[in-house]
Amino acid sequence: MIKEAIDCIDAGTEYCPCKLAEHGQCLICSQCQGKVFCDCLNWKGVCIYQELYNNASRAKDGRKTYNCIVTEVVNYENSLIIIKFKALHKLVLDLVKPGSYIFIRTDENTYFDIPISIMNSDIENDIITIAVEIRGIKTNKLLTIKTDGNIVIRGPYWNGVFGIKNILDQKDNKALVLARGIGLAPMMPVIRKLILQNNKVQVAIDKSPFEMNLASGLLNEYNVSIVENSLFDNGTLSDHAKVIIKDSLKEGVNYIHIAGADILTYSVINYLNDINRNDISLSCCNNFKMCCGEGICGACTSRFSGHRVKRFCKEQADPRIIFEGRRFI
Amino acid sequence: MKVVIIGGGWSGCAAAVSSKKAGADVIIIEKTDLLLGLGNVGGIMRNNGRYTASEELIALGSGDLIEITDRVAVHTNIDFPGHKHATLYNVNMIEGEVYKYLKSLNINIMMESRVNDINFDGQKIKGAYLSDGTYIEGDVFIETTGTTGPMGNCLRYGNGCSMCVLRCPSFGPRISISERCGVSDIQGERGDDILGAFSGSCKLAKESLSNEIKDELDSKGVVILKVPKEDINYDKLDTKVCQQYALKEFAENIILLDTGHAKLMTTYYPLHKLRKIKGLEYAKYIDPYAGSKGNSIRYLSVAPRTNDLKVTGVDNLFCAGEKSGLFVGHTEAICTGTLAGHNSVRLAMGMPLLILPSSIAIGDLITYANEKARTREGRKDRYTFAGSVYFKRMQELNLYTTDIAEIKAKIKKFNLDNIFSQKLC
Repeated sequence: MIKEAIDCIDAGTEYCPCKLAEHGQCLICSQCQGKVFCDCLNWKGVCIYQELYNNASRAKDGRKTYNCIVTEVVNYENSLIIIKFKALHKLVLDLVKPGSYIFIRTDENTYFDIPISIMNSDIENDIITIAVEIRGIKTNKLLTIKTDGNIVIRGPYWNGVFGIKNILDQKDNKALVLARGIGLAPMMPVIRKLILQNNKVQVAIDKSPFEMNLASGLLNEYNVSIVENSLFDNGTLSDHAKVIIKDSLKEGVNYIHIAGADILTYSVINYLNDINRNDISLSCCNNFKMCCGEGICGACTSRFSGHRVKRFCKEQADPRIIFEGRRFI
Repeated sequence: MKVVIIGGGWSGCAAAVSSKKAGADVIIIEKTDLLLGLGNVGGIMRNNGRYTASEELIALGSGDLIEITDRVAVHTNIDFPGHKHATLYNVNMIEGEVYKYLKSLNINIMMESRVNDINFDGQKIKGAYLSDGTYIEGDVFIETTGTTGPMGNCLRYGNGCSMCVLRCPSFGPRISISERCGVSDIQGERGDDILGAFSGSCKLAKESLSNEIKDELDSKGVVILKVPKEDINYDKLDTKVCQQYALKEFAENIILLDTGHAKLMTTYYPLHKLRKIKGLEYAKYIDPYAGSKGNSIRYLSVAPRTNDLKVTGVDNLFCAGEKSGLFVGHTEAICTGTLAGHNSVRLAMGMPLLILPSSIAIGDLITYANEKARTREGRKDRYTFAGSVYFKRMQELNLYTTDIAEIKAKIKKFNLDNIFSQKLC
């Protein structure tokens, strides 16, 4: 039996209780949902109600905004830029875990905030690396970034990956990572964690829409086996991908991380379902639109059967849960 | 036939013993690293009507745990205000003894394992989920999770977590299994519309007391010290769980009992005031650690149940201990636990469930507390063989006696002798 308890990525951190708890909408604590008795279904090590009470019934201060100095910018034909910038040591430490992301902008206007996953967080030199695919007005604006210039960042945020529990559970195991496009960036902290936990990692990379493997430099630092192939064909999982999955399952892989669009994750879940391997544990990118990151604006919400609204900037979930019972409202 | 007991306090242990004796495979799931829960800081047995109840249990064939508390007693037959012939067990020895005994019966004990949800199909509980993801199936479930805490409740209805022996901040919170099945809990009340009640005693480190007090505790088991006039607080008696100790004497005096530690018979007491009293200048709390500030809050989740201790509205769930009524005390927990454990096996075997007659103290307490819990006034009282309303009733109904032969004869008359030691499957 698998039971999905509601999990909040921020519960028990220095940002908990948040505005949701202050306004009776905490994801976890019954006492902070307007109820009057404890019904603590997913204890995260602290009593959120007590933390709220001890903080004069107000939310903790949210994430702060920092001005950071850019140390390096690499522009790949105006379709992709990789930015490295210097940050406070504490922030760099906070952004090491898989799923970490920040909001960045170069404009004073906060509407230009872009949620961007951390590609690498170098704790020794306090340098953070991010990769941004240039698409619309907000990302276009980033093309003006120069070395030694300033960028404004807000963070740390952590819910960039679903199935974090499954990543943490992999120890001395064999793992497969399927990555496509800009998904290669948030894949890196996941691989770092998997290697630290002594897993044997195989990475299948689909570069498109880019010409080059944007993670090759970082990947070289790790002992991982890499294959480059198309994973996706005309909206469906490619035969290459199916073969890669099948072969690795034969070799004893029982965990897959999918770093790409939702349609890729969904296709992998369906394929595993088709070959009767629902026992494979999964993690994937959180591709919901993030705007405030604090559970307030509603940009990241999605509706599920039973009139449930999930706020995916905070709610952690297993990848299979994300697509199950989703309502198109 | 598998009985799953959630909560390893006195009532859970008693349920384990009786269901094992009746022939079940038994598993206890306990969230902390100790069995007995609040029994690790209690210690008072056989005072007033508890003597009768203890002997009834022995005659009913389930005196196993009573024999252990008798064996590890530090003092027997002592009197203190309002109480006679008490036995005080050594709280520092009792848990190890009970653990060893349960193991010798081949009872499966899962320590540091916390149930955080159940799989309920609308009628029956199929299994319990632990916080680490483990799933445990069973035929019958017994909820002995108590009614104390967790932190949020102690904060809303008390003075916050006072770091009691349950150690929720370390081992995680209790959840109400019956409430998870959609059965609304009953709450005990106190005075002015407030729910719950404070635990009624604290423990001081005996080593922190003066030599005179230590010697007197060692020899007599009881020490009574005057509270300075300006510090007497009668109001505090109303907030207390243990109404048998909510007597004037307990406000005007500091009453210490020797249970291995010095048991301080008050809900909480600011340390700087306590230290004004001669002999307590160096006094130090060991339970709850923040005894200056508050104590644990209890009676917030009593399950509605029938007199056979089956939870109303769930086909295969029993309850015992505080979960089964506004009871106070280890003896009461052992009595209800024993009946729940025995009946769990009867239910699984399709046998009629046992209801103990009101002509014996245990049966009457279970029935009476159930009746009382239906009224608002009744929810303000606590029910114990040791004092307050129920001990008065015991005396009026001639249920109270210390004559062991009489108790044995009575149990035999009802054909209940050794009923709890019969193997049913």
